[in-house]
Amino acid sequence: MEKSKVLVGLASCGIAAGAQKVYDKLLELKKADQLDIEIKKTGCIGMCYREPLVEVIDESGSYLYGEVDEQRAVEIMDKHIGNEEPIRDYVVKTDLFETPDDAFWRGQVKVALRNCGVINPENIREYEAREGYQAIGKILQEKTDPEDVIQTVYDSGLRGRGGGGFPTGLKWRFTYKNQAPKKYIICNADEGDPGAFMDRSLLEGDPHSVIEGLLIGAYATGASEGVIYCRAEYPLAIKRLNIALEQARERGYLGHDIMGYPGFHFDLYVKEGAGAFVCGEETALMASVEGRRGMPSKRPPYPAEKGLWEQPTNINNVETYANVPQIVLKGAEFFNQYGTEKSKGTKVFALTGKINHGGSVEVPMGISIKDIIYKLGGGIQGGKDFKAVQLGGPSGGCIPAYLSDTTIDYDSVTATGAIMGSGGMVVMDESTCMVDVAKFFLDFTRKESCGKCTFCRIGTKRMLEILDRITRGEGEQGDIEKLEELAHQIKDNSLCGLGQTAPNPVLTTIKYFRDEYEAHIQEKKCPAKSCKQLITYTVDPEKCTGCTLCLRHCPVDAISGKKKEVHTIDQNLCIKCGVCYTKCPFDAVILS
Amino acid sequence: MEEKLNIILDGKNVEGYKGETILEVARRHHIEIPTLCHDNRLKPFSSCFVCVVEVEGKNGMQPSCSTVIQEGMKIHTNNENVRTARKTALDLLVSNHFADCVAPCKETCPAGVDVQGYISLIEKGLYQDAVGLIKQTNPVPSICGRVCVRPCELACRRNFLDEGTGVGIDYLKRFAADKDLLEGESHYKPSVAPSTGKKVAIIGAGPGGLSSAYFLQQKGHQCDIYEASPEPGGWLRYGIPQYRLPNDILDKEIETITELGTRIYCNQKLGDNLSYKDLKEKYDSVILTIGSQRGTLIRAEGEDAENVFSGIDFLRNMEMTGQKYDFTGKTVGVVGGGNTAMDCCRTAMRCGAEKVYVIYRRSQEQMPANPIEVHESQLEGVEYMFLTNPVKVNKDQQGRLRSMTLIRMELGEPDKSGRRRPVPIEGSEFDMEFDYVLAAIGQKTDVNFIDDINAHAGAGELKLNRWGDVDADEQTLRTGIEGVFAAGDGVTGPATIIEAVAQAQTASRSCHQYLSGQPIEPQPGEFISRKEHFRELTSDDFAGRYMQQMREEMPTLPADQRQNFKEVELGYSDAQVADRETGRCMECGCSELYTCDLKRYASEYGADQKRFAGEFQEKEVDHSHPFIEIDNNKCILCGRCVRICREVVGANALGFVNRGFETYIAPSMGESLANTRCESCGLCLSACPTGALTENVPFKPAPVQWETVPTICNYCSVGCQINYHHKSGYVLRVSGKEGRINTDGNICKYPRFGYHYINDPQRITQPLLKVDGQFETIDFDKAYEVILDEIKHAEPHENAFYAGARLSNEELYLIQKLARVGAKTNNIHSFQYLTSFKGSDLNYKANVPFDEINQASKIYLMGSEINQENAVPGFMIQSARFNHKVPVDMVTNLEASAMKEKVDQITQVDSYYHFIKAVIHYLLSENKQNDLFIRDKCSDFESYRKQILREDFDQLVQQSGIASSQQIIDFAEEYNLQQKAILVFSERNLSPQAAAECFNLAMLTGKIGKTASGIISLKEKNNSQGIFDMGIGAYTGVGNRSLRDEDFRKILREVWDVEEIPEVPNNRHIDKLDAGKIKKLYVFGEDPRGCAIDKERVAKWFADAEFVMVQDYFMTETARDADLILPATLPVETSGTFTNTQRFIQQFEKHLDSKVEKENYRQILDLLNAFDSNGLGDVQDIRKEALSLLPQNKRFEYRFEYTQGEAEDYHLFNHGCDSVVRYFDEGFRHAFDSSR
Repeated sequence: MEKSKVLVGLASCGIAAGAQKVYDKLLELKKADQLDIEIKKTGCIGMCYREPLVEVIDESGSYLYGEVDEQRAVEIMDKHIGNEEPIRDYVVKTDLFETPDDAFWRGQVKVALRNCGVINPENIREYEAREGYQAIGKILQEKTDPEDVIQTVYDSGLRGRGGGGFPTGLKWRFTYKNQAPKKYIICNADEGDPGAFMDRSLLEGDPHSVIEGLLIGAYATGASEGVIYCRAEYPLAIKRLNIALEQARERGYLGHDIMGYPGFHFDLYVKEGAGAFVCGEETALMASVEGRRGMPSKRPPYPAEKGLWEQPTNINNVETYANVPQIVLKGAEFFNQYGTEKSKGTKVFALTGKINHGGSVEVPMGISIKDIIYKLGGGIQGGKDFKAVQLGGPSGGCIPAYLSDTTIDYDSVTATGAIMGSGGMVVMDESTCMVDVAKFFLDFTRKESCGKCTFCRIGTKRMLEILDRITRGEGEQGDIEKLEELAHQIKDNSLCGLGQTAPNPVLTTIKYFRDEYEAHIQEKKCPAKSCKQLITYTVDPEKCTGCTLCLRHCPVDAISGKKKEVHTIDQNLCIKCGVCYTKCPFDAVILS
Repeated sequence: MEEKLNIILDGKNVEGYKGETILEVARRHHIEIPTLCHDNRLKPFSSCFVCVVEVEGKNGMQPSCSTVIQEGMKIHTNNENVRTARKTALDLLVSNHFADCVAPCKETCPAGVDVQGYISLIEKGLYQDAVGLIKQTNPVPSICGRVCVRPCELACRRNFLDEGTGVGIDYLKRFAADKDLLEGESHYKPSVAPSTGKKVAIIGAGPGGLSSAYFLQQKGHQCDIYEASPEPGGWLRYGIPQYRLPNDILDKEIETITELGTRIYCNQKLGDNLSYKDLKEKYDSVILTIGSQRGTLIRAEGEDAENVFSGIDFLRNMEMTGQKYDFTGKTVGVVGGGNTAMDCCRTAMRCGAEKVYVIYRRSQEQMPANPIEVHESQLEGVEYMFLTNPVKVNKDQQGRLRSMTLIRMELGEPDKSGRRRPVPIEGSEFDMEFDYVLAAIGQKTDVNFIDDINAHAGAGELKLNRWGDVDADEQTLRTGIEGVFAAGDGVTGPATIIEAVAQAQTASRSCHQYLSGQPIEPQPGEFISRKEHFRELTSDDFAGRYMQQMREEMPTLPADQRQNFKEVELGYSDAQVADRETGRCMECGCSELYTCDLKRYASEYGADQKRFAGEFQEKEVDHSHPFIEIDNNKCILCGRCVRICREVVGANALGFVNRGFETYIAPSMGESLANTRCESCGLCLSACPTGALTENVPFKPAPVQWETVPTICNYCSVGCQINYHHKSGYVLRVSGKEGRINTDGNICKYPRFGYHYINDPQRITQPLLKVDGQFETIDFDKAYEVILDEIKHAEPHENAFYAGARLSNEELYLIQKLARVGAKTNNIHSFQYLTSFKGSDLNYKANVPFDEINQASKIYLMGSEINQENAVPGFMIQSARFNHKVPVDMVTNLEASAMKEKVDQITQVDSYYHFIKAVIHYLLSENKQNDLFIRDKCSDFESYRKQILREDFDQLVQQSGIASSQQIIDFAEEYNLQQKAILVFSERNLSPQAAAECFNLAMLTGKIGKTASGIISLKEKNNSQGIFDMGIGAYTGVGNRSLRDEDFRKILREVWDVEEIPEVPNNRHIDKLDAGKIKKLYVFGEDPRGCAIDKERVAKWFADAEFVMVQDYFMTETARDADLILPATLPVETSGTFTNTQRFIQQFEKHLDSKVEKENYRQILDLLNAFDSNGLGDVQDIRKEALSLLPQNKRFEYRFEYTQGEAEDYHLFNHGCDSVVRYFDEGFRHAFDSSR
């Protein structure tokens, strides 16, 4: 009889939800009860909304338990492990019976994430056990011509998953063709979009697939040295990467004469980025690796021509590399069976915002936004109306609800004014003010502008000032036009992607929600009732029972009224925190 | 052959080279593309986005500075989209440029007089230049200096600091203008263009008419002024009383206008005895400057009473008749609160009135009159009745004034002018008796000629506006009749003199446009950045940042001496007072006004500072570096300073801090720039496109429009071309010129900051003779007499001549000729090379041209602190290292070399000489010399080899001070393998013997005689090479030819037309000096006493001498010791040539008037001619003779010369033995010591 296995999702998301305590508890219980079970760490399982997650695999099958706190852990150990009685109510996924969460899994296809939440990322053997390093092994054994490797990647239709969507095979070919004494390959792991965590999941959950992807890339392009540029805010990813690199070196996957094949040398190290968003831009990234200030420079020359240390360099992002081993191993057709004509394969998304089932999902290209939100995502929280989704982070744009039939592929998304980006998907409901959303993303890019180009440095600041005025009710006639004009100028006159895309959230929200801007400017109203300066809380004397609940919760003592008498809110003192509104059991607080 | 590409640039087919950027191609085709962040000396950066262009088929705009052309590219450099993008970029940049282009004084002046500019000139004592500057905009400074209403002083930011007293701008103007007008031989006179044949009639000789004439006459148009009154001046004469503006000042200033050719016809009144019909026939254009002459009465019942006058009639009548009113014992009421009221009340007092009351309906604070006038009138006894207004004039039976009924007023709601409106208090009427009432409440324009003019106008019509003034276009002042313009009070209604001047500028500009057939257009708008566009300034902006200093008040006649019409204000007494007052000017305007690219482009593209108004960066100005001021408020983050410091200087002293909008430039680690690795070269200053990095100067930097003259730097031996920017000889700035050596225009700290000596008032300008221990000024003839007497009364070998390496070749040549021909001695030396002449004379050999530096495979710095001593080739080396990855190794004997961070490898030695010899020893003992090269090209190798190998390797290693012999071996092997190795050393740090061995090393490894390989030797002084070439040595003559060579002696005898050439001395000259055998020293351009390392030794030479003559600019230590001093001219005050360390001979011209009557060469020629030498006339002659003696086509010999040991005293003097270098070196060090 095989030992029962207990897997705990210990990626950052799980740890943040308390999974480490659960893991420790499980170990404690195992020790105390001297149980003959295996308790293992694994990476991100993807189901963020049910964290912490614990999977129990026994003879009967596998059971994924959600929202496992210490108490549930005790119950699971007690009933499931002890008495072989799975606790059906807690199960969020199993092959044995249906669960209310099945919709989250249905429709997902896992290529990049195939090992995430399955293997222990700190144990190379587990990766090897799941076809790990077989792709590069096959290439080396068969002495595949680098051009053939490139052709396979090209044929698979894999496009850059960092957001640009440039065909990966083509990029590799450019680097391959450029002759130089030394070439580099870089993995861009400087994931910085607010609301995006696809790369983190991958690096924390399956670092070896990225390393193997880089190895294959190095073989194909002729690079002898690689860098994984990872933001320092991902300590767990960095730790696991370093463990993985160490193990890969030990096992001969890195270094001299890799896997015993003479002549193939490659090594790789992790460079920690100091948290500048702009360092995700490839020229700034390389400047940072070289020890310079992370400021972008003009392309061309492209990295494939003159990259790191002025040598030909190939740069792809984490997810792109993670797909490569499967493509090489299973052939281009395996990958391009999924997706649409121009956008092949699968794509990982980080689903966040006002959605019921937030988490990381991998779906085939061509799926509609509606399906992601309503099927996988379980719809909008609190049964509210779906308003829009922000795709592509601060460089992307808002797609409104009425375009939710839009399918996920590079061209359809771009046609809306948004971009695919790296896969951040922030869902917004009716209570979200779109001017505020634009402000939020612009504030992010403004802060992250490196300060080099005039338009990005000052222009984004000026746009933000205008948006800020609008949300304060101080918008003026002509502000929208001024925003649009400035936005186009910034897009046209910036050196790198950050500046070129920074105005996108503003442009798309103006495009789809112009009336909301106008309401702010002309009527000094926020239709979503979200902008504090434009809303008021008043008490409906008809409904107020004088229960004093609101009065007691008001943090600034702005509410007065005696018990059983109608209360009033002093507008001069009110800070619009909305506590009264949420607390009132009689809907007597009116938000207008 | 570079590959060519075809592109379409602005619709034209154009060829470019592969790899060229759009900007480069455009510039080659004379298409100007603006850019702020691009610098030819640096790699493209692309941050400002001002240089954007549109490329067909590409999304967005492309920064032309970094976009490389591709075949078939279609580029638009100046279409609508491009211009919009550029304007937006500039709008954004200036929205965060918290700075003033010009000071509020100039901004506020209606005529735009450059106050800050002329104050800076007054500070420098350049009074005539100050007046010239004022007169560009205001032709009547002596008048305005007395009676202007001075809006400038109200706007002056000194008001924030010193209890509300602005700078005494008008006092300063009057001081300079009076000095120019009343003192000295000649006053300022503008240049007048040749006659255009056009004639202009100007109606009225008031300030507007006079100014119009002044401006138009300069353009070459004949101006005739027709004046209705008997004398010119208008209001200046008939309105302003003499105690404020004396008639003689007025007359003199009018003369400065008529002397340009303008004629004034008096008693000619248009519409009366003068008709427009005549004017139209005789003149091409007419300007109406008729003034606003008719006084109004008090607008109350009974105002027609006798003894009620309009104030201006009162003033005018006295001037017309020359008779003063007699108000003795009378009571006079003056109604009004303006400056005319002041003139009336003060004049009434002077007419003997018993009591004078000023009746004004508002309160004192609201009086429009100048507060000084109010104050003075009170001193003189005038009484004030504020908040009082006449209601009625009460007459006696004869209709004469008896009294006035007055009413009390109170202040109500503010009116349109913002002042609170006076409202009568009902029932507060009261009567008061007056003998006279003068109404000073307004004037009207009298246009009684309008019918005459319209009757003869032909087309068009002269109209009046609703106030009854002449109707003229506000922007151009053209009237309804073609060719007729109008200006002054007649257009504006009663206003001020300075406004009339301003109007005259506009009318005369339009008139000139009309006369020269151009379209009549208003002055194009100019972008002016203002701090007030961002926020109001308060005293907090100034307190603590500037010293408080109270105004130098105007001396006035004592109050009890004013019962007359003598001028009350007496003017500043002397230049010291004026100078102190200039010190109060805080120089609010930017010193880079005329050089700022941001301002230039912002004006060109019509940038708007308020369009994107929002948050802005505000930072303290950093003055902590003695030479470089950082004003981050002005910075536009182009990064040129950061980049030039990194790419060219290699100091990395500046960097970007923070991200996004909060980014700013700061010295590294947030330190003061003075505490970073900053080398104070000032290249950052040359890179800044705006005023964020400016030079800290010890004078008021102005800005003024300067003149620029080119010259050659007179510090080190590199020979950079520089520009002096000066105003009347006062040097305000030095910049690099793209020269033959410094092809990219880079210069180092020496020329950039070392120019203040040129402005030093302590210059010696006349010969001085020491009599009883004191110097007395003598004339040149006397000086020559003394010198010749001394020369003749000594044995030839007791005379010795010394010439410094700062002198020109022509000067050097003459000095040695004077010694050899005149004094008949070969005692001719340069102190600098006293013990190192031999050996150093070979240092010019095999010098690699600087422009090959970047092709080297490796550069070896051998004992050269190149970034300090010869920084420009240092920049070239750093650029080669940065851009071409040329490695740089350094061999140094310094523990703390300033080059440490800028080289790739350091070899620490004690002795360069032994280190080099050890390297040579190793190579020869291993037989690793380049036999082929030696065999083909070199001589004396074998004997050299034998002598070297006779030495002991281990001992050499030990003496070199290097840790292990392996280091020698590694160095030797590495050097030997380099394809193109350049060995750089400076004479200052390497003995001549060490230099000679460097040369041996380069020869035996075959490193010389090919491109980018060999030796670069750096000398200390601008003309150190000239010392050798011009024969400043006892053993060699011109061309470094031996004086023992009989052929050469023969040539010399012929050329010099002499019987004999003196014999070559046998002993070292220094030994003779030490032994006190040199009795007479003639020192030209060196300061051996000031620069000596062993001061006592040198002092003894001079103490032992019987006679010392020194020629210098300043009273140096050596000069102080002299018996006779000749003044010296600076290079820029004379002409000649310098030979740089690589033997480039560069010519420089005389550009500034010499402060010395006779140029150096002239003085020496005069002396020489006293010995009946064959006459040389000028610098050309001298040069020709010197060149004729240079050997022709002398091939350079590659000869091995063994040196036996190193001279220990090869370096006797610091600072190149030059007082100017010492002055700078010591000042430089001191500046840093005191800034810490």
